[in-house]
Amino acid sequence: MFQLKSWPQFVLLPLAAGVCAVWVGMVCLVFCSRLSGMKAASICGNAQAECHFLSLANLFDRVIQHSARMHGISNDLHSEFELYFLPSKNQVSRVGRNCHTSNILTPNGKENAQRIEREELTEVIMKLLAAWRDPLWHFHQSVARNHRFNGYGSNKSLEMSDMAHELRKGVQKVVEKMQTLGVISNSVGGLASPEALLAADGSGWRFMKDSDLLYCFRRDSNKIQNYLKILKCRIVPEHGC
Amino acid sequence: MKKAEGVIILWWLLFFTLHAEGTSYSLPGKPTLTNCRSPEKETFTCWWEPGSDGGLPTTYHLYYRKESSDAVHECPDYRTAGKNSCFFNKNDTSIWINYNITVVATNARGSTFSDPVEIDVVYIVKPNPPEKVTVNVSWNKSWPSLRVSWDPPQKADTRSGWITLIYELRIKLEGEDKWEEHPAGQQKMYNIYSLQSGGTYLVQVRCRPDHGFWSEWSDSTYFKVPDYFPQERSIWIIIMIFSVFIFLILIWAIHMNSHTLKHHILPPVPGPKIKGFDKQLLKSGKSRDAFSSLVGSDFPPTTTNYEDLLVEYLEVYIPEEQGLMLEEGKDLHDGSLKSKSYTSDSDSGRGSCDSHALLVDKSEEEKEVGQKSNQQGGRTEMDLKRPEESPEENILNYSHANVGSPDVSCEKVKTWPSLFSPLTENSSGPLDQPDSPEMAKQHCLSDSLFPPSPLSSPFAPPGHKEVLGSNYQEYSFGNMHPHVLHPQTGSHQYLQAHGNMNVANIGHKGVPADLQLPPVRSTEYVEVQKVNNENMVLLYRVSSDAEKGCPGRRHTEEYSRLKGVNNDNGLLLLQRMVSEEEMNICPYEDQESSGLTDSGYTTSTAQKSTAYIPPATQVLDERVAGGYVDTSMFTLPIY
Repeated sequence: MFQLKSWPQFVLLPLAAGVCAVWVGMVCLVFCSRLSGMKAASICGNAQAECHFLSLANLFDRVIQHSARMHGISNDLHSEFELYFLPSKNQVSRVGRNCHTSNILTPNGKENAQRIEREELTEVIMKLLAAWRDPLWHFHQSVARNHRFNGYGSNKSLEMSDMAHELRKGVQKVVEKMQTLGVISNSVGGLASPEALLAADGSGWRFMKDSDLLYCFRRDSNKIQNYLKILKCRIVPEHGC
Repeated sequence: MKKAEGVIILWWLLFFTLHAEGTSYSLPGKPTLTNCRSPEKETFTCWWEPGSDGGLPTTYHLYYRKESSDAVHECPDYRTAGKNSCFFNKNDTSIWINYNITVVATNARGSTFSDPVEIDVVYIVKPNPPEKVTVNVSWNKSWPSLRVSWDPPQKADTRSGWITLIYELRIKLEGEDKWEEHPAGQQKMYNIYSLQSGGTYLVQVRCRPDHGFWSEWSDSTYFKVPDYFPQERSIWIIIMIFSVFIFLILIWAIHMNSHTLKHHILPPVPGPKIKGFDKQLLKSGKSRDAFSSLVGSDFPPTTTNYEDLLVEYLEVYIPEEQGLMLEEGKDLHDGSLKSKSYTSDSDSGRGSCDSHALLVDKSEEEKEVGQKSNQQGGRTEMDLKRPEESPEENILNYSHANVGSPDVSCEKVKTWPSLFSPLTENSSGPLDQPDSPEMAKQHCLSDSLFPPSPLSSPFAPPGHKEVLGSNYQEYSFGNMHPHVLHPQTGSHQYLQAHGNMNVANIGHKGVPADLQLPPVRSTEYVEVQKVNNENMVLLYRVSSDAEKGCPGRRHTEEYSRLKGVNNDNGLLLLQRMVSEEEMNICPYEDQESSGLTDSGYTTSTAQKSTAYIPPATQVLDERVAGGYVDTSMFTLPIY
């Protein structure tokens, strides 16, 4: 019906140009407003010290987030396990529970945690993470093999195991960073490798029941998260503490 | 006996009283631990609900046992937290350790244990509500923005990272019921926009640890929004401008395409349209010009499609006076080619048959005849068969078939009343027989078909001889073989001409004298071979010696006018002086089939030369249309 060809050229061209200009202008307005808000995300390149501190805080934040997530998964698994596999309220057997990480001395209070040295705290974290590498993997295998949980539980166990592994590597990076910065002494690195510690622990975890294992890991993941927060607020307190 | 009964009764009473006392003094009811809470993850408090006390003063004790330790401890502080509570201070609180807590109710009768409860302090944290909730109003240009800020609960140590709190605030207008909740994360302030100007709002904040319980809502903080003008309409203004812009574009587009739209919506009613016809000329009154386009320019047709030239009928034109004929004769005598016979043909619809010269007789009879012939569409027709079809004669066939002959202007060929009038008396039959069966073609027999007769009068000056010669030529038939015209016996082609000999003779008397046969040029003649029983004239072409190469031969239709029938029953044909424009004038004779008059034949004196039909032949009548006999049309007569 509309014959565009019949439109005179002197009408069509300016019209199209006007419409395009208006559209481009509106798009630019939207993006410019967004770009101005993104200036804060620039990567520091000048002052190395500031940059390093910033990056350490950033590393800490990431590690803490990771540990929080890991704790969340363990919490879900534990409650699910209790709901389906331990309906009885008689939790007498709980009292006799003994986690294999009990021999690791961990501060069980705020004063204790604040009193402890940062290197020691770091070591505790590392020990905990190292102590749970094998049991978690074993737990996942057990769950996958026995089909105890549903598919959701099986995936969670695997994810939990992987996250523990990644968190350990992340904490190692943080420790290296701190040692580079001189925040902590190099004695942490001088510790015996976690594998050696594990060897000392033996394989007591193999005899744990799955319910106890989940319970223990839930607690330990909380410890790890809390210790990391304390460590962060002690070392880089200006960001979010 | 009475004494014994009294003793028994006394004993029974004593027993019952003792029992009654025993029910009031019973074991205390089972207490229940309702909940344990820690506000900052450093201390915690447990509350219990006592059962029935059993009538005796009951004391409650709380005992707890730590995990991995069998030592039983008693609650260190029963007062701090109020009644039926136990407060664990920092020294007694261990995190990440299970506490097995039991409450024991004890009275004189005994003690009752409550159900043990296992707790881990980490998971029972319920902080205090945030403190110092303040609202600040800041103006951003002319836009007010409210910032709500608060502090974490005092006891919660978030600075050391021991506890991480997540906040949430809610706001509502004063007087409303529904709160508007906003999660704030870990930040301790929050911006609020889009508030009613001049409204009073209430705001509350609460918090919780990452794994714990929500605190209670803080106390409501009232604040009033200052009056301002909402500027959120700027975006609407932009939208309005844009839509107006688009609207203008649409209007422009419609305006540009208004014509096409009109045609699309209201299609124009097509008016009558004749090809080549100019209405304006008609309106201006120049009808001649207007109709000029209707006149076919290709007439006479060069292609020998004789059927198209079929003339349906001949119109008899009755001249006003007899003197016209004489006048014609004079003209002829002058040798002016431009006979009035032709000039009278002002209207194209009328054939040249209405030549006055041909109208020998202008008697009333002629008129009558003419009228009659007109009425009956008296037609004399000569149909000459096509050469291709058969070697039949080119005898005219008469038919009344009203076949539209498109191009032939001989539609209204006029018959010669002089020819008709005597015939009508005798033979009205043929006239009454309008349609010969198949005859659809009307042709005029040119005088070339007829043998030259002395009666043939040359009308045309020598200058026109060529033209006339062409008339005589039978080449108007196109490719017709001259011999084709030989008549065949029994052919159906007949020349029927009605005519009044007498009438014809009357008028012709003077004429023939004047008429002189032109020297026969290269023309061919048709000789009437015979007349059949039905008074049909059979014609055949005479091989003409006079055929001389005529330079100006044209393959056009040639017509000769049937002038009349002479006494000798000869058909007088006038050689028509045909100009090129007048070639379209085709006198044709509509054949009336059957009954021809036996009045003989009519001889027509052609203007130039007349085809003479020997008296042996009976020329059947027919209303010889006062027009021309088309020699070029040799078609089979169809009966």
